[in-house]
Amino acid sequence: MIVLQSVTKSYGDVRAVNGVTLAISRGEFAFLMGTNGAGKTTLLRLISREEQPDAGVVLVGGGNTAELTGPSLTRLRRRMGVVYQDTRLLPNATVAENVALPLRVRGMGGATLTSDVKAVLERVRLADKESRFPRELSGGEQRKVAIARAVVANPEILLCDEPTESLSAERAAEIVDLLLDINADGVTTVVATHDTGTVNRLRRRVIHMDDGCVQSDTLVGSAAQPQPANGPG
Amino acid sequence: MARLHVARYLLGSALTGLWRNRTMTGGAIVTTAIMLITLAGFLAINDTLNQMVTALGRKSNLIAYVRDEARPTQVTAIIDDLRTRPGVGEVQFVSKEDALAIFESRFVDQRDILDVLQSNPLPASVELRLNDPSVVPDLAQELQTMTTVFDDVVVPLDVVEEVIGISNLARVAGSVIIIALTGVTLFVIVNTIRIAVFARRQEIEIMKLVGATDWFVRGPFVAEGAIIGGIGAGIAAIALVVLYAQAAPVVTRIVSFLPVSTDTDFVRNLAVFTLLVGLIVGSLGSYFSVRRYLSV
Repeated sequence: MIVLQSVTKSYGDVRAVNGVTLAISRGEFAFLMGTNGAGKTTLLRLISREEQPDAGVVLVGGGNTAELTGPSLTRLRRRMGVVYQDTRLLPNATVAENVALPLRVRGMGGATLTSDVKAVLERVRLADKESRFPRELSGGEQRKVAIARAVVANPEILLCDEPTESLSAERAAEIVDLLLDINADGVTTVVATHDTGTVNRLRRRVIHMDDGCVQSDTLVGSAAQPQPANGPG
Repeated sequence: MARLHVARYLLGSALTGLWRNRTMTGGAIVTTAIMLITLAGFLAINDTLNQMVTALGRKSNLIAYVRDEARPTQVTAIIDDLRTRPGVGEVQFVSKEDALAIFESRFVDQRDILDVLQSNPLPASVELRLNDPSVVPDLAQELQTMTTVFDDVVVPLDVVEEVIGISNLARVAGSVIIIALTGVTLFVIVNTIRIAVFARRQEIEIMKLVGATDWFVRGPFVAEGAIIGGIGAGIAAIALVVLYAQAAPVVTRIVSFLPVSTDTDFVRNLAVFTLLVGLIVGSLGSYFSVRRYLSV
């Protein structure tokens, strides 16, 4: 589903991603672990084609993202849902309007849109806050709205950047359970985090990054076997 | 159905965007209105100046004195030809008798002079009233070559040259000021819209990242730009019509020599022009302001 081959990305003199090769299968759930500045966010931005690699190839669904422009890039974006570290919710739009945005851009409206938004808000347990503005919500609730927006249009891939950052253990567990629930529907899910507690609690694939490189790629939480750097395809 | 949803969303989104960013919207509307009132006001002043220069030009006369021995048919043919020339307004033949009558009426207390003379010494003449003072020098030279018909051609060349100079200066200065003012108006309006768009660049980026097409992102902004430009221009047009209706009669009364246009068509056309400029600049300003944030 997602394949990176010898991908490198630099910002000035800083090499944020350095020769990364890995593959994430369809329907897989993978954590991207690492400290701040390890290259996790850049890797997600490369997958979502917010950034283009200086070297190497990023393939999503078999297509080279560097070759995508205009309508083909729009099609790629519609196959993905992204939860950003800073949530990037529209401050002047209500919860329901924020969540409805991916459906609006697909030309949806009327009763179908309303029922889809309602359903996803119920799934993230925010149905009673659909008329609120993001500033009126807690950090955990804002993350949930961002997740609801990311999944409302049934994407094939879900990318989450630090979705549990600054949340209490209880709220973080709630968010992770929600992501696992979404993954159970067959959505390929990649979660960037440095929350070792959350990662160790689950028996999932963990791609550990440091200084822009993949240091290890393993299943943790049980007798996991290290996987090859380019992973299952 | 999807298109209907999208169209409804775009318009709704534009109106919501304007309302939720009402401080920025209000600022953009007021700026647009002020700039367009200034531009339209100067266009009105420039029109008055042009009319004044044209009126001044119409005062340029040329008199060709006809020889007594010139044949009437010759003179008539020349008059008919002159009437077809561009820049020539009225052409009038003043016979010897008419000239005498005019002299007598103007110099009633000096009629004794004429009594001394046995015959009428005043020549017949062809008097030209010109619409365009720039044709005077060539026309005068042409008439001066017709020595068998005309004895002398009187041209107030210094006045004509001065009128031509003022006319050219007024036109060039007017054009330069209008171009500069139009440029400043466009710059200010477009930048006001750019600031409004800049404040919402994150919104544009997010829309792109959730899979919106460029057209879908631009739509509400272009509609908002058109609404801001339209309302700003509407205020300017109404202010223009009201101010002009109030000011024109007062200016005409105080400075009676100023040919201020009281023609309602002129004010209406200026108001329509202002509205169009507002709508077009508002829409295009938004279109190009959004473009730079679309490359996400």
